[in-house]
Amino acid sequence: MKSMLKKVMALMVTLTMVFTLAACGSKTEKSDDTVSKDKPVEITYATFMVGSHVSAAAEKEVLDAFNEKYEGKIKVKVEELPSDDAYVNKMKALAAAGALPDVINGKNGLRELAIKNGQAVDIMPLVEADAEWNKYVGEGAINYSKTEDGKLYSIANQKQIVGYFYNKDMFETTGITPAKTWEEFMSNNEKLKEAGFTPLAMMTGENAWTTNLWLAAMIGTNGDEGNEFMNTNYPDSYDNDLVVNALTMVQKCLKDYTTPDAIGAIYANAANNFLQENTAMIANGPWMVPDFTDTSKAKEGLVDRVGVSLYPNDGVVAQYEIGYVLCTANKSKEEQEAALEFLKFKTGKEAQKIFLEKSGALPLTANVEISDEYKAANPLVVDLINLADEAKYGFENMDNTAHSSVIEEFSLNYPELVYGGITPEEMASKLTQAANKHKEQ
Amino acid sequence: MTKNRKWIILFLTPGIILFIFVFLISIVLLVGTSFTNWSIGSSISFSGIKNYIYLFTKDKDFITSIFNTIKWIALQSTIHILIGVGLALILAKSKWYTSLVRTVFFIPNIISSAALGLLFLCIMNPQFGMVNNIITKIMGEQFVHNWFMNPDTAFFSVTMTWLPYAGLVTILVMAEMASISKEIYEAASIDGASSFQQDIYIVLPMMRNIIGTATILAATSMLQKLDIIIMTTGGGPGARTMNMPMYLYNTALVDNNYGLANAQGVILIILGLITLISVRKIYRMDKEH
Repeated sequence: MKSMLKKVMALMVTLTMVFTLAACGSKTEKSDDTVSKDKPVEITYATFMVGSHVSAAAEKEVLDAFNEKYEGKIKVKVEELPSDDAYVNKMKALAAAGALPDVINGKNGLRELAIKNGQAVDIMPLVEADAEWNKYVGEGAINYSKTEDGKLYSIANQKQIVGYFYNKDMFETTGITPAKTWEEFMSNNEKLKEAGFTPLAMMTGENAWTTNLWLAAMIGTNGDEGNEFMNTNYPDSYDNDLVVNALTMVQKCLKDYTTPDAIGAIYANAANNFLQENTAMIANGPWMVPDFTDTSKAKEGLVDRVGVSLYPNDGVVAQYEIGYVLCTANKSKEEQEAALEFLKFKTGKEAQKIFLEKSGALPLTANVEISDEYKAANPLVVDLINLADEAKYGFENMDNTAHSSVIEEFSLNYPELVYGGITPEEMASKLTQAANKHKEQ
Repeated sequence: MTKNRKWIILFLTPGIILFIFVFLISIVLLVGTSFTNWSIGSSISFSGIKNYIYLFTKDKDFITSIFNTIKWIALQSTIHILIGVGLALILAKSKWYTSLVRTVFFIPNIISSAALGLLFLCIMNPQFGMVNNIITKIMGEQFVHNWFMNPDTAFFSVTMTWLPYAGLVTILVMAEMASISKEIYEAASIDGASSFQQDIYIVLPMMRNIIGTATILAATSMLQKLDIIIMTTGGGPGARTMNMPMYLYNTALVDNNYGLANAQGVILIILGLITLISVRKIYRMDKEH
């Protein structure tokens, strides 16, 4: 009897342990569970615009507005990732598993991954069928994202016009004005340095954002050839004089005209250096404008001391964001419709207006009017829009045109370039190798 | 014995099932897919040993990452262990400062690696970092140096974020030392052995296995080091602080080349096995005292 009891107890303990292991596995919800006549349709969305991100307030307002409008019908389950890098890495892992959220921001190659794994939906017929949505998205944004065979896998919610901001007081003290040519730009940097100012807020960490904006401008304003190069997606080679000459200039800037922490710095370091008036210039977009009045980030009254300019040779980064991708190819009809409503809201008139007012992101078309109150409160954004209309060269930035492996290579090799470990020619070769990595095996 | 065997099998079964489904199948898949071309969205196709040939003949950065990993294994197995064992021998004398020093020395081991990386980024910041400020005060003139990004000091700086912090080694050795009978010390004292001689000729030989275990833990931790490198240098400048886990991470998540990343994973596992076998042989861990 005792022996039998021992056996039964041992068996029960073993089975409990085994079932505990099975219970530790993730539950896969059947998609039917998210669709019920009584419950709102649940869709998933991931965002990196949280916390201290410049667009966090705008993103929250858009999400709240959507949830309020569709209360009881659609519920958005939001996954927050703490940074751009964390977002991209998580989405790549999900893309590999075919488990991307219903709506994603397709930046840094995520759109291409969603297309490759079959989750991305061609929204061209959907855009063409909705005149109201089409009106606020506009032909420019649609044509920017359209594939060669006429399909559309992403929709932007903002136009990017990027020049650079400069400290007017520092410029006035030094006796200079925004440079018209690159020779004048380098001469201005030298004069600022002699006057005791650090000219440029740069960074080589993360995606080397502010540094690569200067690099893109140096290439993109270098005649028609340079302009074409900076408007070409995923070039196979960076081994050309355009890139080498630009890298030589950037090398000089990183060595002599920026802060000691620029090498290895992330965006927060570069932004802080400009906002705390440690540097005279920063290449960045209109989304930075709200920071100039935020005294938790910037010195008091900085907004009155900041001007905006085109790059030398009248250049401006003019592009659309990659935008949002609908990843519901394998979902139920109700989920597809719900996610589409969210995508339309996220890229529609109301969201564009919120992003303009809260984070300085420019709307896609003139159909989203910029109010006179906004113009009066944000003269810098108005200046930038007016300047962009006069630009001779419009081009894209490195993030939009280069493979993610190339952006990584910039970050790894800028320090070597600065400290003389490699030459600009060698760096250009490394970029070419990185661009062709996926072809090599 | 037959009766006991049944109970043994029964209780081992859940552990074996866990091992098979979590580890063994994963390793089999890892090895299998290392012989394929595989990236997101494309179908998997067999490519033989092309990935391995590419890694060893064309990928210079991968070779650099192997050498960096081996260097860190060597440093961690020697200097790190030396620091930990040395401190254990000192603290085992039970002075008034033993508890305090042991606790303080262990603090870096309980902070998450990512937080430690951020901490060192601030300490070694070229503009406002504590290290540069101290040197400035000592030298009497402004000292600015980018410890993590200057190619001459990048490897050294990254190594300093983990090398000296041998708290775990100290704790393990001290715990083992506590089991040494006092009579052995008394006998040695009677024979005229000094404290130093007792440590060298009696204590250390008796600690062979635990020091070997600590060496294995320290060496194999270098095969997993990723978070501190991501937080500080990202493997740069160039590939100067690139180790195998960091390179594997980039290959998988930046280049999206899973076949190649899995080939790197297989090589990493082989390196780990070589490390384990070597340490066991050096410390003669399968032999009695």
